[in-house]
Amino acid sequence: MKQKNGFADYSWRLLMALWAIGILFPLLWIVFESLKTNREFFADIWSIPEKLKWVNYANAWTLLGVKQSMFNTLYYIGLSLLIGMFFTTVNAYALTRLDFRGRKLIWAMIMLSLFLPGINALVPQYVLMRSFSLTNSLTGLVILDSLGESALYLMLLGGFMASLPKEVEESAYVDGASLFKVFYKIIVPLSIPGIVTVAIFKFMGLYNNFLGPLIYLSDPRKYTIGLNIYYLNILMQYKTNWVTLFASVIITLIPLVFVYVLFQRQIMEGTTIGAVKG
Amino acid sequence: MTKLRIQKRLFVLLAVGPAFAGYMLFTLYPNLMSAYYSLLDWNGISSARFIGLSNFKRMFGDEYMWAALRHSLIYAVTVPLLILVISLFLAYLLTNRGYRESAFYKVLFFFPNVLPMVVIALIWAFIYDGNFGLLNSVLKGLTFDYDGYYWLGDEKIAFWALIPPQVWGGVGFYLIIFMNAMIAIPKSLYESAILDGATHFQRLTVITLPLMNGIIRVCLLFMVLGIFKTIDIVLILTNGGPAGSTDVIGLYMFNLSFGKGVAGGGMHTYGYASAIGMFLFVILVGAKLLIDKLIPNKQVEF
Repeated sequence: MKQKNGFADYSWRLLMALWAIGILFPLLWIVFESLKTNREFFADIWSIPEKLKWVNYANAWTLLGVKQSMFNTLYYIGLSLLIGMFFTTVNAYALTRLDFRGRKLIWAMIMLSLFLPGINALVPQYVLMRSFSLTNSLTGLVILDSLGESALYLMLLGGFMASLPKEVEESAYVDGASLFKVFYKIIVPLSIPGIVTVAIFKFMGLYNNFLGPLIYLSDPRKYTIGLNIYYLNILMQYKTNWVTLFASVIITLIPLVFVYVLFQRQIMEGTTIGAVKG
Repeated sequence: MTKLRIQKRLFVLLAVGPAFAGYMLFTLYPNLMSAYYSLLDWNGISSARFIGLSNFKRMFGDEYMWAALRHSLIYAVTVPLLILVISLFLAYLLTNRGYRESAFYKVLFFFPNVLPMVVIALIWAFIYDGNFGLLNSVLKGLTFDYDGYYWLGDEKIAFWALIPPQVWGGVGFYLIIFMNAMIAIPKSLYESAILDGATHFQRLTVITLPLMNGIIRVCLLFMVLGIFKTIDIVLILTNGGPAGSTDVIGLYMFNLSFGKGVAGGGMHTYGYASAIGMFLFVILVGAKLLIDKLIPNKQVEF
């Protein structure tokens, strides 16, 4: 459609610009403040820093536990993603493309979890994890998150695999290929777009997971990145080192910005698929 | 073919077996157990005592619970409506008006959706801070002096101040869904309407919105149920304070189970917290039925 320049159009564009500013301005403000000294920040939040204090980032990284929590997050996400994606992929295949007795029942039972509120399961889940001695452990969180819930992702990837034509497997079987070979030589390569989308969503879900680490991790050396800045924020109410806190928040955002820029198309498409099917 | 059948059995066993067992253990079983826990008097350490429906009796007389539920109800009406209006409006502008900046806006407007809740909460904590907050500073520039006024520290204001962060973080997701739904509407419908002299507003209310009835309904349901389950953003920004003025039902339950005795007084009251969880489950089902009734599911063909 053409660019129009009526009065109405100017007001619509103004409104959209305001919303854009509402998103960008706080973020840029935090970047701006993260490059000052505390003295400059407390004196006047609008003052231009004399020198850009990149050292705040170094301090956040080493002194405020950001480095440790970033490595913890890497471990937690890496392992959860690996195990979780493995299970989601093999299950999506088995539950959508293989016929066996009880398949419908298992599928229905997994989909049941989409209707459960989840929030009441927090306490029994905690008691369960405690009985396995999996609390205060990143590995415990990995087990909980990679085995616990995957109905939505299973549905996403299952839907993708179900849409592949039946012939792709049949000709391979005629050639004498085994089921395992068909799975990893044909099904997995053809499903890569679906697998990538699900993996991105899992990554973001894990990176943004706050309640899980909050409930289970009590040792500061095990904090994930989100939990770390949460406790830093509380700490800063007594120890006024705001500029370093700002730097920590920005460091937390960097991996997400990367993922968003790289996979923006998949994220937006996946959002729509998930909503339409859910 | 028997060889293939054995392989299939083996694959199903290895693939579905462990994952389904894990799902049963870590997801289904805890959900079922919460119903049983709600009948116990248990702090998680001492031995549990079966007390029947006493937890529910206590709950119905618990004024903190009712206050938290009232807060959740207000949020469940205001926040989804604001998100709905803003995201529909922005989606309409982005899809039906080809402005130069639209492509960039689409990417930017979605961005808050990928941010962790902790970061969204902290951004707003920085905005609302009394001495060094962005809001007071901007207001000062506009000659309103709120210096030293803590928006989240005022019992009357804090509750309303929690609405913008939730809307800010929620619009992007629904904006993208609505945009894709709008793009799917055939152009020919608009063309004939334009020939008949329909204004933009008429086209929006007569064509676009009715055709999106189904997706709007699903999104509204998503949002309302999500609001009732909210814990994290309120926990981080105010933890229910000051004086319980921002406590919501999910957070109240959470603090009863894991909290440091903030809102309800007690901590690790697993039995009582589970009773509230069951009540919340009933409320969620009720909310779904209510939305089904309020927004009839009209199937539109085009």
